[in-house]
Amino acid sequence: MNEWLQNPVIQSSVLPFVAGLLAAAILFPLRLGGLAAAVGFAATVAVVGNFALEPLTVTRKIVVLGAMAALLGTLADLAFKPTRFTGIAMGALAGGAALWVFASILGQKIPAEVAIVGAGIAAFTWWLVATTVSLHYDMVRAGAAGLALGLGAGFASVLGASALLGQYGMALGAGSGAFLLLVMVLGGRVEAGVTLTLTVSVLAALIATAAVLLAKLHWLTLVALALVPVLVRLPLPRGPAWMQAVVASVYAFVAAGGACALAWLAGRGWTI
Amino acid sequence: MKRITLGALALALPLAASAAPENYTLDPYHTYPHFAVEHFGVSIFWGRFDRSSGKFMIDRAAKKATLELTVNTASVSTGENDKGSRPRSLDEHLRSADFFNVAEFPRMTFKADDVKFNGDNPAEVTGQLTLLGVTRPLTLKVERWVCKDNPFNKKPMCGGNASGSLKRSDFGMKYALQAVSDEVRLTVGFEGYKD
Repeated sequence: MNEWLQNPVIQSSVLPFVAGLLAAAILFPLRLGGLAAAVGFAATVAVVGNFALEPLTVTRKIVVLGAMAALLGTLADLAFKPTRFTGIAMGALAGGAALWVFASILGQKIPAEVAIVGAGIAAFTWWLVATTVSLHYDMVRAGAAGLALGLGAGFASVLGASALLGQYGMALGAGSGAFLLLVMVLGGRVEAGVTLTLTVSVLAALIATAAVLLAKLHWLTLVALALVPVLVRLPLPRGPAWMQAVVASVYAFVAAGGACALAWLAGRGWTI
Repeated sequence: MKRITLGALALALPLAASAAPENYTLDPYHTYPHFAVEHFGVSIFWGRFDRSSGKFMIDRAAKKATLELTVNTASVSTGENDKGSRPRSLDEHLRSADFFNVAEFPRMTFKADDVKFNGDNPAEVTGQLTLLGVTRPLTLKVERWVCKDNPFNKKPMCGGNASGSLKRSDFGMKYALQAVSDEVRLTVGFEGYKD
């Protein structure tokens, strides 16, 4: 069992998928099926890294913010009725929190770089969170966006030379995939809510940004990832949830695949 | 009596001068920390840091010494820096968050003030190694220690080799522990010029 859990493929795909599926199946009657992504991600963190907070590195801050996003999302779903402005507000909050995550790296740069890189980090995080959270009412599109954002950030991170961030991203995608599978089977009874959309967007934004700043991922990859929550809004065919989930995932993977292609091309010396 | 005392003092003066603490600055062009790890438990894989700096003090009479070594972690080099058809080279991977996380932790430091002597020469140096924001004790055995004048510029210099081992997981570097050994052998070749 222990040896099985040492396998990186198991750690970042099977384990978070199974953990996410169990969480979604147990919690969806409570309108908390969206916790699948957070639970899947946490399962991978438990076996790959750990939940230690000292020293509070960038990757550990990402785990902390992921947990806070899941808690805040749960609170928003259960205690409030999310509106169209929820995404914008959550995005602004996440953009500020992202600056805290990368403060140790920004602190080593000259003021002009701090302004440019800091503004870029905050803007990317705000956009990804605002546009993804606004999908909270649509479990199919939200699940497809989570799947593509997680896997896109994960595979791009691996191409950007960070396996740890890659595993974290793939775990997020696997947990979201488990949620989407339940949606495909049960249809509209499974709610995504702010719980899912806030967790996946915050974590995907931070993982991809970390791969740019801590490894060698090209920044243009972030632009392609930012298109994921836009493309999933394209029209879906009338029909069963599973069919809509497949089509929405195809839309989302056009952007996520584009992000990975950019990362791969940049790794081979391609420049703009 | 006064003359005898003054004479004795005059004779002792050069000895006192030589017993005073001596400060040395490490020569960055001849000071290189190397590391060795096992790969899949098969071969020993070597790497080094190309840029480091520091200083040391030695007081042979008092049997005391201190050492401060700062290593630029971004200068990690295994000789495998050509990515070829792959997205990234090994050196680029070593600089990422999986290993040395150089963007966040650009420096590794070793500060020591507990030095055991074997005669007039330092034999064992114990201090604190800070890597990835984590500080742990580390002991280096001094395997070679030579002091002489540089034959070209005649400057007094001391140097040698020291080595020790650490567990990288103690510093939070846990990536690929199945493939790359937890135990890291550290060997430092160093030379310093008297200030």
